[in-house]
This record gives sequence, structure tokens and C-alpha cells, in this order.
Amino acid sequence: MTAADAVATLRGPAGATPLLAVESVDVVLGHGVRAAQVLSGVDLRIWPGELVGLVGETGSGKTTLARTVAGLVDPRRGRVVFDGLPISRLRRRARRAERRRGRIQLVFQDPLRSLDPDMTVADIVGEGLKIRGEANAGEIRRQVLDALDQVGLGAALLARTPGQISGGQRQRVSIARALAVGPRLLICDEPVSALDASTRNYILRLLDVLRNSLGLSIVIISHDLSSLSGIADRVVVLYHGRVVEDGPVDQVFAAPRHPYTALLLASAPSVRHDRRLAPAQLRRAPADPAPPAGDLDPAACVFAARCPFAADVCATAPALEPVDGRWSVACHRHSEWRQQAST
Amino acid sequence: MVIGNRNPLPDARSRSAEPAIRDGSLLRVDDLHVSVHDGAATAIRGISLNVTPGEIVGLVGESGSGKTLTCRAVLGVLPPGCAVERGSVSFAGVDLTNLSRRDWEQMHGSHIGAVFQDPASYLNPAITVGHQLTEVLRVKQRLGRRAAHARAAELFAAVGLRDPERVFHQIPAELSGGMLQRVMIAIAISCDPQLLVADEPTTALDVTIQAEVIELLLHLRDQRGLAVLFVSHDLAVITELCDRIVVFYAGEVVESGPAQQIAQHPRHPYTQALLRVASVGDFGRRELEVIPGQPPPVGADIQGCRFAERCPVAMPACSAGAVQPVPVSYRHDVRCLRARDLDNAGELVAR
Repeated sequence: MTAADAVATLRGPAGATPLLAVESVDVVLGHGVRAAQVLSGVDLRIWPGELVGLVGETGSGKTTLARTVAGLVDPRRGRVVFDGLPISRLRRRARRAERRRGRIQLVFQDPLRSLDPDMTVADIVGEGLKIRGEANAGEIRRQVLDALDQVGLGAALLARTPGQISGGQRQRVSIARALAVGPRLLICDEPVSALDASTRNYILRLLDVLRNSLGLSIVIISHDLSSLSGIADRVVVLYHGRVVEDGPVDQVFAAPRHPYTALLLASAPSVRHDRRLAPAQLRRAPADPAPPAGDLDPAACVFAARCPFAADVCATAPALEPVDGRWSVACHRHSEWRQQAST
Repeated sequence: MVIGNRNPLPDARSRSAEPAIRDGSLLRVDDLHVSVHDGAATAIRGISLNVTPGEIVGLVGESGSGKTLTCRAVLGVLPPGCAVERGSVSFAGVDLTNLSRRDWEQMHGSHIGAVFQDPASYLNPAITVGHQLTEVLRVKQRLGRRAAHARAAELFAAVGLRDPERVFHQIPAELSGGMLQRVMIAIAISCDPQLLVADEPTTALDVTIQAEVIELLLHLRDQRGLAVLFVSHDLAVITELCDRIVVFYAGEVVESGPAQQIAQHPRHPYTQALLRVASVGDFGRRELEVIPGQPPPVGADIQGCRFAERCPVAMPACSAGAVQPVPVSYRHDVRCLRARDLDNAGELVAR
């Protein structure tokens, strides 16, 4: 990437500064022989009011990226900048103070496991405010009711525990809990995976409404691509700890530039059978020549061992480079593979 | 209930459970009623369905609609407190609700295989997966050690595990979710069953792996004539895989018929709603629709149609009395008074 390109991707929709900038972050989890590099050189920018979908398979590093942004994991290299402040470099008091401000909030997949089963809805939603210690009981109660109102829940639920409400209501309570402290960025880790289709759509619509009414930036981590197509502005695809594609959701979903994104889209089940590429066209066949790199070769493209279009050039890792405006891809063959797939 | 009860005493009057297909259906569930909470509520009210040899039938519905309970009743592994109240489940002419333990054991594994959502919790974490498969082969098919090993390697290859010899010596923790589900499928088909009961087998898997498991099931059907009873809450997965779809709502079947016909011309308002909220698979920006209201609580005593309260086209007659399924075309039944008025409903989906 040239310096000019780097500046171009730094610039936002209206030349604004990003709310969140993840800059060349490496994350290693575990120690000694168990150490595993989970994220490698991840670059990600989230603009104010933007709704971004983060997709990738199990073990691709989606959740670790969310935890790094929230300050639960320290990057080994690179930094996380939130609203101009390098939050990953904060230590002790400064980090605690930043956490209590609650500008970044996480919402998890399974509220039955992430919410304390013995606490009432009122306690759960008000806990962050109570810890912050700036408001008295009356103000906290008012803010709790406000937060519940924003997710379409009423005061009737205040005294219930998570076990006494439905799955959709539970997920709304965990969103209300996150909203109560007035965040600017909401990171939702698989918020709808455990829900029925109708409830899933309700929660996604709710997130879209909140983004508009509160001016929130939202990151939705998901493996369900079709639900993202309903609301996200941009989609970021992670594979083995690297960003392989990042671009506007409608463009990426219409004609993905990375073979892995194409495989994800082709594999998504659909009621109608009108796909252009079949998953089998995007997988390696046993007859294909050996890949230019092994599964664990750190120097090669992360997808080379699974990619049916891998060539010799793929033995070196491609950088994430802009291909078209705000659309970036990390693939040496992004302009050629589609032709090979159709022959 | 007898099949759920693992009575250790052998049944002296044990019949031979050698199945024979008579009326063309391999599995026939007839007017099944299942009670939960020790009989306090009836969660399944009169489910009827059948599966013919080599057919893949999908059960779809919201959580709590009774699809998993139906599956478990078929397998004879209902959770504690649940019992078959009425109706029958017969497999190739043998009534499964009334089997002795010995017959049950002979039936399971040999004629009916099962796969569930979370493969890791059905495998012993301390024993190699190869051993867990050969154990089945040695007990059920009385194979010797070498023969079982060779057969296991064949089965692992048949379910698409690369390097079966290596997988054979690995324990579950060393394998990924997709590989474990393949191991489960290998165990389920090890004794060449005619029917595979698969309860949400792909829900916990990544989409790329889900697509591979679906391809595997289709391949097994083509190669071995395996019939599959497949449960999922995802209508998109069901239409990808299944020949026929059975739509569950609040413990009843509201619509059943050929998969393509239901996907393109759903007749029941609930099926239509499900299709509108499902991932239809075009990735363009679309409205995220919601089905208003909530399903009735499990076992609720409702006079007429159980969907009437949420139905956009309900009439007073819908709540007046029980609604019976009516055939709308060949093997396509709809439990709706307005089924015949809603001819063009398919257009709602094909918009």
C-alpha cells in the first residue's frame, strides 16, 4: 500500500476522523509452546454512525478482535485508537477510568450465559451506572427505564430475572444494559445466532433504529451473511486472523473479490436456487495441483491452502489493498480468479 | 413409556424386530400426542407424517413448536417427564412406541441412526473416535478387531474425512466441529440404517461446513438410499436439502408438501410468514420482516386454529372450532380454512 493509499483509506465519508481505528494489530494468545497468533496485522476503521458486519468462520479471530477493541486483550503489536485516544496503550487507572466511561460496549450471543441469572432486569441494566457511581438511585432508575424503553421493553420486566423472560426479550435486555451507560460504539458478538428468524429480524431492526436515533456506531459479528445484507453498510471478512476483504455490503455481496468471501456467500443456504457459483467451484478438488503453501505457512496467503485458484505468487502473503474506492481485498488474484472459476 | 425406559430385564416374549416395508412408507407417525411436565400439558397434538425409503423430509418451525420432541419420540429417547399420550410411531410396520428394550436396541443403530446438534457432547472425550466407531461395529455387527478397523476407515472415508487413518487415532478434542459431525454421521450410518434422524445437525457449524454436510447427506441418500428425517429452524437449509417439508406450529403440523412447491407456493399464512422472514438467499438490501405476536405457550388449550391470533387473514370461523388439514394438491396438505382462497400467495414470496 502506498502512503497516498493509506491516507485515502484513513479518510472517512466526509473527511472525518474514524471513531475507532485498529492499526496493524497482532494478538497472540497463550504462552510458550501454546502461544498462538490469533490476529495478524489487522486494520479496521469504524466511522461515526456506521453499521459494520464482521464475518468469518470459527477460529478466525472475530471475537478476539472484539475483545481487543474492548480492552480485554492486549495487542502484541499495533494499537487501538478510539476517538483519537490510543486506548490499547492505557494502563491501570487510566484504563479503568476509560472502561467506566463505557464508551465501548459488548453484547454477547447467549444472554442466558452472559446475564447473571440471579439478578433482576433492573439490576442488570443499572449495574454499569451503579459502578460508575455518579448517579443516585432515582437517576439510575430513570436511566434504566430509558434504556429499556429504547429497546421496546417496559417497566413490567424490571423485577424479573433472565430465566423468566423470552429469548428475544433477554437479548433486548442485554442491549439495554449496554445502552444504559451511553456508549458510542456497540460491538455485538453473534447477537442473533441463537434466535428464531422472526426474533432475529426484530433485533437487527432494533439495532438499525438505535444506530439512527442515537448516532451509535455498531459492529455486528455474525456468520449469517444474509442477515447482514439487511442492515449493514460495510462488511469486513476475517480469515485466520487476517482481514481478507473489506467493502460496502451490497457491492461485496453482489460480486465478492476474495475467493473466501465468494465461498462463504455460495455456501449460505437459500430458499431460491439462483446462485451464480456453486460451493464446489470454490473449493479445492482432490485432482487440483498441490497448493503453493501449506496450511500453517506464515509467509503465504492465509487462504492459499484452501484456495482452488492459488498460484505460485500466493506463497507470499498479499496485503489488504484498495481495489475500488472504499473496497479493499487481500488477494493476489482478485481480478483473475472469477474467470478461472467459470471455465 | 416403554421405549424411553431402559428396563434392564430382558423381555422374554420379545418379538423379532425385522422390519418389512408394506405401505411404501418407512417411517409413519400417526396422530402422535406427547405430554410434557409429567402429563401437565400436551406439547404435541396429533402429528402425522411419513417418510418413504430414500426420502429426505424436513421438519421446520420456531423453537418450542415440537419438532425436536417429535424427533425424540421417533427415536424413543423422550426427555424425563415426557410421554407418548396417544398415537403411534411405526418403522417399516414395527410399532416403535411399544418396543421391549432388546428390540429397541436392535432397532437403534441397525435400522435407525441419529445425529444431533452438538457432536462433542455425544462422543466420549477420552477415547479415540476410531475406537468409538469400532465399538459400535463390534457390538452391533459382531465384527472382529481387524475387520472393524478396516470398516471404520472405509466409513470415515465415505463421510469425506481426509486421512481417515489419522482421524481414527484422534480424540474428539483434536477434531474440528465439522469433522466431529462427520464422525457422528459415520457412527450413525455404520450399520447401514434405512433411516437417519438428524436434529439440527448443522446449526452449530460454519456455513461452509454446513454446505459440506448437506452435500454429504445428499450423497449418502443417492449412494445408499438412506432416508433422512431432518430438523432445522432454518427454512433455507430445509429447502436446500429436503424433498418434502413439514411445517410445525405450536405442536401441530400446519402444512406439509413437496419442498419446491412449499418454497414457491406456500399456502398456510404461517409458512408464508416464515418464508418472508427466512434468509431467502438474495443478498440485496431487503426489509427485515417480523411475524407479529408470540406463539401460544406450550400446551395452551386453544379452540380453533392455533395461529389465528397472529394470522393476517384470520376470520371468526378460524377460532370457532378445530381446523383439519385439507389436501390442496398431491401430498400437499394445509391446516387452514382459507387454504383454497390463498392460491396466489406464492407471489408474496416471489416478489
